[in-house]
Amino acid sequence: MRRYTLGIAGREFVIDVQEIDADRFEVEVGDQRYEVTLAGDEDVPEATVTPALAPPQGSQAPSRPAAAAPTRTRAAPAGSAAPAAAPARAAARGGAWALNAPMPGVILELYVKAGDSVTRGQQIAVLDAMKMHNFIGAPRAGTISEVCVAAGQAVGHGDPIVRFAES
Amino acid sequence: MDPGTLGLLLQGLTHVTPQSAVMMTVAMVLLYLGIAKNYEPLLLLPIGAGCLLANLPLSPLIAEDGMLRVLYDMGIRNELFPLLIFIGIGALTDFGPLLENPRLVLLGAAGQFGIFLTLLLALLLGFSRPEAASIGIIGAIDGPTSIYVSGLLAPHLLGPITVAAYSYMSLVPIILPPIMKWLTTPQERRIRMPYSQRVISRRTRILFPIVVTVVVGTLVPFATPLIGMLMLGNLMKESGAVERLTKASAQEIANTVTLFLGLAIGSTMVGSEFLKPSTLAILVLGIVAFAVDGIAGVLFAKLLNRLSGGKVNPLIGAAGISAFPMAARVVQKVAQDEDFENFLLMHAMGANAAGQVASVVAGGVLLALMGAG
Repeated sequence: MRRYTLGIAGREFVIDVQEIDADRFEVEVGDQRYEVTLAGDEDVPEATVTPALAPPQGSQAPSRPAAAAPTRTRAAPAGSAAPAAAPARAAARGGAWALNAPMPGVILELYVKAGDSVTRGQQIAVLDAMKMHNFIGAPRAGTISEVCVAAGQAVGHGDPIVRFAES
Repeated sequence: MDPGTLGLLLQGLTHVTPQSAVMMTVAMVLLYLGIAKNYEPLLLLPIGAGCLLANLPLSPLIAEDGMLRVLYDMGIRNELFPLLIFIGIGALTDFGPLLENPRLVLLGAAGQFGIFLTLLLALLLGFSRPEAASIGIIGAIDGPTSIYVSGLLAPHLLGPITVAAYSYMSLVPIILPPIMKWLTTPQERRIRMPYSQRVISRRTRILFPIVVTVVVGTLVPFATPLIGMLMLGNLMKESGAVERLTKASAQEIANTVTLFLGLAIGSTMVGSEFLKPSTLAILVLGIVAFAVDGIAGVLFAKLLNRLSGGKVNPLIGAAGISAFPMAARVVQKVAQDEDFENFLLMHAMGANAAGQVASVVAGGVLLALMGAG
């Protein structure tokens, strides 16, 4: 699970994102829980976020496309629609820019360090799970910005192993 | 020196028979496979050594009160050794992946199909019913179960059946992948199965071995010794209350018994018993049983895949054959060969643990069918 604490227009939102599947996420905002499907996950290096994209207010909420389908029937309070849409992006960030442990185990070996550039499929680590040495390969080409674990460290499902630089 | 004295001194040499010479060669092959090829060395080395020692001329080790004879009487004839090993297997088996995904039990059942097909083939080849059942049990792909069942039904075939079971088990990484690739398309092998993160409570983990023992023991009384010992080991592990006993069962006792078991099995492989056409037939039928198990497992997983709308990777069916935990590792490896980001290991381990239980149940069912006790 990943937890994002975002300050939006002076309000703080704690958003918990749990990856269920490659394109399905369970997102918890405050006491609301949503099941979110990730339709696209793009890297848009040229685009910059401008102040015009300030979070919409409650009045706009009903007109927003239903990116997130609430699993509870209780109506979302005004203002929570915007954060509900945000986690989909946030989750995509977490999914796209980090290599997460596919199952619980122990990291036996690490073959990269911060600053290394890797190609897709290049070996990043060996994960010992159920006494089997598993090949962990890079999900994308890019530069490693951070190595989140040390050799010999136990990891849970979804814990980040390395992060990639976002450019 | 008169000729009589010379004869006494050279009686070792004069008692070398062609049969014992052949069996010593067989022993060398087993030792070679264990040491140089690393095929189940923990068993093939003691079996090879036992075979060699038993076939030396006039071997005192298999005479009355000889060490190998004592070991055989102590733990093979009365089924003690395989049961002791089962405690250790239970203490090493994690049923968590199976509890997270209980429908995998079906794959464990499908992976036993080879037992019954091989039994029928053996009957067609003219083996008696108890012999055919003992040969079929090679398809349980579980060493102690094979030893247990054949020890009760056909002790004279114990040597070849054990050797077949353990040699083929070590060949799982070679036998299974071609079957898996032949029966599945690359698209099917790429199906990802998300890792479910259901937390299994400690209470469930402790209750599981007790409930399985009671249910299986009631339904298949002949399986009670095997399932009871397997689940005893698991209960000790999951309860965490007797760490010393768990460790001893999984390591010291299992290691000691493995040595005794291997030596005693090897000592049953004497020329007059082993060098028969039936041994060759058993070796061939054994590999048929392995292959059919794998085929049935994968085909059944394909069926589950259809029924679930494409959510089950057919490869995990191959882990239902038992051969814990090697079969599950093979599944993971074949899946990752197709897509390095696909991790089926946990699901395969669940199917594999189910196969382990199903093997034991199948052994009990066979014994019940044969009316043995």
